[in-house]
Amino acid sequence: MKTNHIFITVVAVFFLAITLVFLTFPRSTFSEMERRELASFPEYSHEKLASGNFTKEVSQWFSDSEPYRDIFMTLSMQLKGLIALQRSDEDAITIHADNTPTAQASTPVDPDLSGDGNMDEFNVTEGRDAKAKIASNGIIVVGNAPNARALMIYGGIGGGDGYAAAANKYKETFGSKVNVYCMVIPSSTEYYLPEKVKGKSKAMLTTIKNIHSKLRSDVKPVDVYTILGHHSSEPIFLRTDHHWAPLGAFYAAKKFADVAGVPFKDLGSYEKKVIHGFVGTMYGYSKDIAVKNSPEDFVFYKPKDVAYKTTYINYTIDENYNVTAESKPTSGELFYTYKDGSSLAYNTFMGGDAKITQVRTGTGNGRRLIIIKDSFGNALPGYLCYSFEEIHVIDSRYFTKNMKKYVVDNKITDILFANNVFKAYSVKASHYTDFLKQ
Amino acid sequence: MVFSDLFFLFVFIPAFIVLYMLGAWMDRVLHRKYALGDSSGEISEAAARRRHAFKNAVLIVFSLIFYAWGEPVYVFLMLGVVVVNYLVGMGMGRADVKNRRRLWLTVGVIINLATLFSFKYLNFLAEILRDCGLDVADPKISLPIGISFYIFQSLSYLVDVYRRDTGPQRSFWGLLLYISMFPQLIAGPIVRYSTVAREIHDRRVTADDIADGVFRFLLGLGKKVIIANQLGEVCRQLLDGNLHDLSTGGAWIGMIAFSLQIYFDFSGYSDMAIGIGRCLGFHFCENFDHPYVSKSITEFWRRWHMSLGTFFRDYVYIPLGGSRRHQLVNIFVVWFLTGMWHGASWNFILWGLYFGIILVIEKHTILKIKDKIPAALLHFYAVAIVVMGFGIFYFDDFTRLRDFFSVAFGGGTEALSFADKNILFEKFWLFLAAILLAAPLRGGIARLSNRLLANHEVTRQGVSLAVRLSFSLIILLVSIALLVGATNNAFLYTRF
Repeated sequence: MKTNHIFITVVAVFFLAITLVFLTFPRSTFSEMERRELASFPEYSHEKLASGNFTKEVSQWFSDSEPYRDIFMTLSMQLKGLIALQRSDEDAITIHADNTPTAQASTPVDPDLSGDGNMDEFNVTEGRDAKAKIASNGIIVVGNAPNARALMIYGGIGGGDGYAAAANKYKETFGSKVNVYCMVIPSSTEYYLPEKVKGKSKAMLTTIKNIHSKLRSDVKPVDVYTILGHHSSEPIFLRTDHHWAPLGAFYAAKKFADVAGVPFKDLGSYEKKVIHGFVGTMYGYSKDIAVKNSPEDFVFYKPKDVAYKTTYINYTIDENYNVTAESKPTSGELFYTYKDGSSLAYNTFMGGDAKITQVRTGTGNGRRLIIIKDSFGNALPGYLCYSFEEIHVIDSRYFTKNMKKYVVDNKITDILFANNVFKAYSVKASHYTDFLKQ
Repeated sequence: MVFSDLFFLFVFIPAFIVLYMLGAWMDRVLHRKYALGDSSGEISEAAARRRHAFKNAVLIVFSLIFYAWGEPVYVFLMLGVVVVNYLVGMGMGRADVKNRRRLWLTVGVIINLATLFSFKYLNFLAEILRDCGLDVADPKISLPIGISFYIFQSLSYLVDVYRRDTGPQRSFWGLLLYISMFPQLIAGPIVRYSTVAREIHDRRVTADDIADGVFRFLLGLGKKVIIANQLGEVCRQLLDGNLHDLSTGGAWIGMIAFSLQIYFDFSGYSDMAIGIGRCLGFHFCENFDHPYVSKSITEFWRRWHMSLGTFFRDYVYIPLGGSRRHQLVNIFVVWFLTGMWHGASWNFILWGLYFGIILVIEKHTILKIKDKIPAALLHFYAVAIVVMGFGIFYFDDFTRLRDFFSVAFGGGTEALSFADKNILFEKFWLFLAAILLAAPLRGGIARLSNRLLANHEVTRQGVSLAVRLSFSLIILLVSIALLVGATNNAFLYTRF
């Protein structure tokens, strides 16, 4: 047999095998890695065909829903990781915050809660010269495995007026009977962006300051920016996920309790739990192998010295995230359980977003709280069981009831807006105020 | 559809192979039936056509599907162009007086160029008129994929027939096959009609053809997916962002990355086209010959996009008088047109004229004393000019073009920013591989192995097979991985 025949035969067999896999094996429908539904086969219409969109979508469907997609995707990321020149001197990055506050208050009771109300930019002095690269989707990956940290670029300048307007409208609606608080949660980018790529991302502080300045005088801003800065040398943000770590939420809750004038317990009153080997959303977003190779511990805290009961009203949502049905109130666990290595560890808190969560605690102080939040806010209620007798957690994307009625029916005394800065920056006031009239 | 698309690789290609082989089998069966009793060995043109009827039909149908996949409406424009050229060709074939042939040619050329102009340059003309203060609406005509390529092929057909370098294609299907053939339809090479005229109805494929064609196709796939697409990410990062944040070093890294990207993208496409052609029994002309080894811009243009260069040489430059009459004018006409061909935008015209000017200067300076200049210096000069040329090529927005070059020549934020330097480290092996592979490595390695294993033919063949096979399988596997969920995968040259 001539060599050309051997060549043709081997390539043909290999090609045929792959073709058969692609054409006959079940197609992938969901990507664990990217946390998204994959493209489905497009619906046909004559207009779509004429515009060229039908064929384009067929091609996209074919490449997006490839069998064993995530395996190929991982291989692709590994290959892309290989083309970098490995530099050993910058393997380890350590980030320490400059914990000396620029403006020391006189004899503070708790350094966390001190300050003159002016937020100052945090000067993280070490680790700011770490290696950084820009990966897919505007993600900056700092450092190498196993300590890489993925940061989302923030493009907002000022902004957030709609968010402030929403809080103002709530205050105007409910008057003096209900306290309204506004919390804007920065992301890790604000604290850990190496100096040399700082120009790539805008300061979140300008947005937060703008929002605070637009609030009515009787809406209380909750400055979590400063307290998170004080603790930025601790693992307050997840390295591989876009969310904060439960510890960051703990400090934010502490600040909130202080502003709200409710009791608050330190971490000694909590049972520490760990999910090992967590790699979060930033792996899929950044498509960078260094992130996959930097698993971290997902550490969360369960209150142990207080009784609490959790009730859920679960929403069913369709593929466009529209609510199609709601369940009867059913009791459940506030903390869901995930195994080591699960990429879903952040869902530990209430198991996700599409629901109303009602926590009834043994703290009989007459204070009843609504948290209107996105997924960042999910980490907060666990720390507030010692502070409020009822905590209602409402996701602003999924709420079908009338807020006025809800507040009255449940004798709510406090409403906390707790959103991350990305959302707060661009959200329209109507996103929240529509709840008042629906 | 593009070659580096999983749908093309694993749906279109397998379906095509199966039906093409079925067509070839039917052709063989029928040929045997018709050939009975014909012992002369000579076959008539009609019989030759019949001998390839089924497989050509399959090729035409798949070519139309291939084109319609991206241009479901403009496929009819392409069919219209083929009809016109068929009629004009037949008209020329029947005309025995030269003047009448010339009349037919003029009509044909005007229709082809008018089509190209309407669909490619009308928006640009309206923009120019608006800039002159006239109130002209934007016609908003979208560019049909590959129109520059198939119109140029049509022109080459008409001119070749006019010059009697070849006879007219008497079968409409034959001409449709020539113009629409999917391997070279949307991004070249610009295959001259005379190159493939015979093979349309008379071609043979050997195992060598298939093995070489498959290998060539896979090499092209690797060039595109493994090298060009990854370099494209670098270009986007450096060149598509806010240019005021760019450092001077970053601007140069971006230009070099784009120069390499466009080479691997376009030559990869040509390799895939030539490879598929080879498997079908067509021998397209080469389109690239390691352009980055050039020691002058004159040499670069003999090695880069050769099918376009020879087209302009044979159909514009020489008929205008070449070097015999007003050479300077001829050179500038050709380079103005070369620039224009790439796109309806000032930067492409500037890019063409840039090369025109340099070629003229080169002719009177460097080329006369090149033997006295060290080769390394000449090489550096040529590459630097080409890289800057691709800087002009990249930015079709004039403000950005100006900002970019002011950054490249000292106006950057700093000499080399941390982020820009990081890109070099992050893509280090990619840059290195791209630079090495732009050199004629393959020929060198083949010559070396031939010399080392001159007396061990069996070993040489074995080694060659092992290398080819492992390259092929690795490229295929890696390309599949890189193509999952890939965006920005279109070939750069399909927009021209």
